[in-house]
Amino acid sequence: MEELIKIKDLFVEYRVGGVVSNALNGLNLTINKGEALGLVGESGAGKTTTALSILQLLPQDVGFITNGDITYHGESVLTKTDKEMGDIRGAKISMVFQNPLTSLNPVFTVGEQIEMVLHRHNPKLNKNELKKRAGDLLEMVGIARYRLADYPHQFSGGMRQRVGIAAALACTPELLIADEPTTALDVTIQAQILELMKKLQHEISTSLVMITHNLGIISELCEKVAVMYAGQVIEYGTVKEVFTKTAHWYTYGLLNAMPKLSGERERLVSIPGSVVNSENLPSGCKFHPRCAHCTERCKTETPPLVNMSETHQVACWEARKA
Amino acid sequence: MSFKIFFRRAKKSTFLKLGICGFLILLMLLFIAYPLMPYDWAGIDFANKNLAPFKDMKHIFGCDSLGRDILTRCLYGGRISLLLSISVVVFSVVIGTLLGLTAGMFGGWADIIIMRITEIVMSVPGLMLALCVVAVLGVNFTNLIIVMLITSWTGYCRLVRGQVMAIRNSEYVKASTVLGAKRFSIMVKQILPNCVTPIIIQASQNLGSVILMESGMSYLGCGVPLPTPAWGSMISDGRQYLTVAPWITIVPGIFLMFTVLSFNFLGDGLRDCLDPKNKN
Amino acid sequence: MRIVKYILRRIGFMAVTLLGVSIIAFALVRIAPGNPVELLLPEDATEEQINAMEERMGLNDPVLVQYFKYIGQVLKGDLGYSYRLNKSVSQLIAERLLQTAKLAVITLVWSTIFAIVLGILAGINRGKGIDVFSMMFSLVGQSVAPVWLALMMILLFSVKLGWLPTNGSSGWQCMIMPSLCNGLAQAVLVARLTRTGMADVLSEDYITATRARGISKMKVYSKYALKNALLPVVTIIGARIGHLLAGSAVIESIFVWPGMGQLLTQAIGQRDLQLVQSLLLVSAFMISLANLLVDILYTFVDPRIQLT
Repeated sequence: MEELIKIKDLFVEYRVGGVVSNALNGLNLTINKGEALGLVGESGAGKTTTALSILQLLPQDVGFITNGDITYHGESVLTKTDKEMGDIRGAKISMVFQNPLTSLNPVFTVGEQIEMVLHRHNPKLNKNELKKRAGDLLEMVGIARYRLADYPHQFSGGMRQRVGIAAALACTPELLIADEPTTALDVTIQAQILELMKKLQHEISTSLVMITHNLGIISELCEKVAVMYAGQVIEYGTVKEVFTKTAHWYTYGLLNAMPKLSGERERLVSIPGSVVNSENLPSGCKFHPRCAHCTERCKTETPPLVNMSETHQVACWEARKA
Repeated sequence: MSFKIFFRRAKKSTFLKLGICGFLILLMLLFIAYPLMPYDWAGIDFANKNLAPFKDMKHIFGCDSLGRDILTRCLYGGRISLLLSISVVVFSVVIGTLLGLTAGMFGGWADIIIMRITEIVMSVPGLMLALCVVAVLGVNFTNLIIVMLITSWTGYCRLVRGQVMAIRNSEYVKASTVLGAKRFSIMVKQILPNCVTPIIIQASQNLGSVILMESGMSYLGCGVPLPTPAWGSMISDGRQYLTVAPWITIVPGIFLMFTVLSFNFLGDGLRDCLDPKNKN
Repeated sequence: MRIVKYILRRIGFMAVTLLGVSIIAFALVRIAPGNPVELLLPEDATEEQINAMEERMGLNDPVLVQYFKYIGQVLKGDLGYSYRLNKSVSQLIAERLLQTAKLAVITLVWSTIFAIVLGILAGINRGKGIDVFSMMFSLVGQSVAPVWLALMMILLFSVKLGWLPTNGSSGWQCMIMPSLCNGLAQAVLVARLTRTGMADVLSEDYITATRARGISKMKVYSKYALKNALLPVVTIIGARIGHLLAGSAVIESIFVWPGMGQLLTQAIGQRDLQLVQSLLLVSAFMISLANLLVDILYTFVDPRIQLT
């Protein structure tokens, strides 16, 4: 399979007012062409940072890539100029944001916001063509064409997310990053949006990175899954393997913390402790203070990602045998 | 907001530090240095008429047209200006808060009437209204306080009313009402602490703006009545001698600027430290 | 239809406000110590003039009747006659308003352009040199007494350098210093607001989203963030227009600029209460009108606005 994006040993820091927090700590991840990858982890695990790093949109003067590399089609995005990145963003790689209520500009009509992407990447289109294409896109996501002239506040949350998806898919990108696109929505609307994304992903045959902390969405939508903890991928593989032959104790904890709808009722098990403090990371395996299977080695040495099978990798000294 | 968070932020806020330092220096000058000055603020000495600054180190900032020591007068004038601005701000806060609370808590006609009155006051430029009222009432220190009070209570009134409105509709007041608590008592308990922060911020800036307004009124002959020196009246006194003895104007202006600047630093610094929306 | 209702409602509010100001203006003359007729007339007024004024004010009627009489005259556009300046008040105000308006336009233009440019640059480059400069400019600008600033400018530009005339109203040179002094407070306000507006907008999700669609930084600054950041600024600038037209008593007196503010000081100095009354009303009218127009304009430029 062709590699689209390869992230190698990426370190990202946020520096605010003299405080440094380590958002990513040696992240390794590969995204293949046409593949749907799920990125899971608790809040603060670095999922959104990963997405913003790929697009080179870390907050200015706050977020810094201190080590590692990200390549797109084998070329490093870190050395690209802002102009070159601009040609990629929205056209080749685009993103759907978490909160549809805040990710559309309130003082421009949705039409203007969709046309803005189209115009940026197809400067030759004239006004009428732009309008027609934008209308087509709205219809594609299930919104009537005449609503192009409406402002975001005239739409419901779910509708706004549809607009966000339309804008993201406007130029048929190779990769769509969806950053928890349904977290802020009602459950019924969530299902509709997921359905829509699934459908469109197949129609346009784009790769998808689905960032979420909902494991259900992953099994529904994705082929591969990467589990993140403290800015690292700690388990990676096909959804089937990761979910059935879980090897990392953190992933195991996550799965056990999720209620099951069918079968016998079991007691939910929460993972003890709280999310790692990125301003003060533990040594060794970042998960060791919360892990029941922690050994002396875990406290001092960081485990590398090792193959469990061809399509399943884990970073744990005491990996669970299933 | 806990004091711990406040101190952590205060340690980082340059503005707050500058403001506090400035304010302390001012207090020291006015209340420790002034009593030590060897001159009387009204002591006329024609031998030193229009003496330039730094010529005679006994009169470091020089003397005015009647040979009075400018530094002594500035320090005494500062006490007057500060007294004026503190009284105006204190009364404004009390009146504005009471009216704002009344408007917000009772709503209905009380609200309509009070808010119309604030709008009426705000539809006339402050200095203009003050001048008109002083013109009618006559110039003296008490009237000056009253006049400035008239123009500055509205800000606090609107602020407090706004807070009351926000809290009235907030989830937690609704929630406590559901739990059977008395709506009125909850609001009083919740509203005042919520108002303190914005009031402190506004008051610290208001302190400066009153001093600025006094300077304008003095120039137009409606300020602190002669012969008492206030910074504003000293500046306008000096304008006749601008060409021969500019320091008579310059020096009190610098004192005034230093003071207002300190208050503004204080206001901005407090905003940085007290604003709950400020994350760092 | 909602917009018409909104505008009507706002005009109603404005009428109430002006009514309130008229009560203050009316009361001013009655509260003032001394006989109101004598206050409104020069000391050497003839018997005839006194009788005419008594008739006009209807001093023997109940206060309420007197007030309605006064309002009736104002609504007819009859603001009375200034015996001190020997002109009808409306004519005086019209002349002076023109002069103040000249100054106001220049002040508004320089301060708005300067402040918005400074505010945007500071908001984009937070924590950098230009931001620190804009912050210092705002803080110092807020802390200088206008009287003092004006006198210092005269000292520097007129006395020491001899570049600009100290006062007068002939020629553009005369307008430089008064408009600089008048505009400073305005510029400080607008610059601060623009800076925070820009900085706040730039940290919004929709700006990241815009950038994620490939739009360049320059385009975001000049179009997609600018509109959001400037909307609140428009309100402030609009609201300030009324104040600028009411004139600054201090600055106009210092530079002897024959505008509304100077007229007010003149009127107060000569205890010409008829004129003071009218100036109060006219200023309140202009300020309320400016606010009303800005609010109406705002409903058109900001799509989010909820009409209440």
